[in-house]
Amino acid sequence: MPRIERHANVHWEGNLARGGGRINAGTGAFEDLEYSNAVRIGTGNEGKTSPEELLAAAHAGCFTMSLAGELTRAGSPPERIDTIANVVMDEVEGQGHLIVESQLRVRARVPDIDEDAFRRVVDEADAGCSFSVLIKGSAQVSIDAELEV
Amino acid sequence: MAADRTGKATWQGDLMSGSGEIQEAPSGAFGPLQVTWAARAEEDHGGKTSPEELISAAHAACFAMALSNTLAKEGHAPERLETSATLTFVPGEGITKSALTVVGVVPGIDEETFVRAAETAKDGCPVSGALKGNVELTLDARLIAE
Repeated sequence: MPRIERHANVHWEGNLARGGGRINAGTGAFEDLEYSNAVRIGTGNEGKTSPEELLAAAHAGCFTMSLAGELTRAGSPPERIDTIANVVMDEVEGQGHLIVESQLRVRARVPDIDEDAFRRVVDEADAGCSFSVLIKGSAQVSIDAELEV
Repeated sequence: MAADRTGKATWQGDLMSGSGEIQEAPSGAFGPLQVTWAARAEEDHGGKTSPEELISAAHAACFAMALSNTLAKEGHAPERLETSATLTFVPGEGITKSALTVVGVVPGIDEETFVRAAETAKDGCPVSGALKGNVELTLDARLIAE
């Protein structure tokens, strides 16, 4: 199997409280994304992103592709899958800030599959999504998946 | 206080010939971004992002913040940090490695103290905490004079 590498660069200036940074994707798909600590832990975003928002986008993308792959393998390729990932960072006593949870909400339109088979495929997609597996160092992954008619 | 951040993705069709979209981020900072399996799993990405690239962006960003904090706590707030994360993805196996690099401009610090702070940030940033134990984490830290 080929080894695929993907990278991103960050430019940061100053301390944590008042400093800020910019994030650039190696592919050029996104560039100069601004972020700061205030936005990361606060409720307003001022149009700025955060590591957790990037992880949420990654998890939604990863799970969706994994589910498309498993459904195809099971003989029921999907018409459409919509996934929302909600990544939660919290302060854990004695351990500082940790990513504690990623909650996935999945809606799939799949011709010719029954509910039981769909459940099995969702579990396989979770096991096969590289990101779901990866973040289990500190985070729980929960999945709310439904078939759409 | 807990911070929640959301991402949304849509996929149409099977994995190999279908395609997807990571929708515009709730903050408005990026997206919508197109994704395909080919762009994710082949060397030639064709300018498209992938979950691995988004994770590398999150990791490089998280590491830079953690390091700025560690340095400032020791009385050496950085002028500038250039960080990167490179994720290795082996299709069929998963993500095997995240390699962090940093080049720092930090007034009044010696190389050894800087490297030690970078190690602390590598181990302590929340994204590292989630990945730890599941992937190889490496660090290459360098101090440069401005």
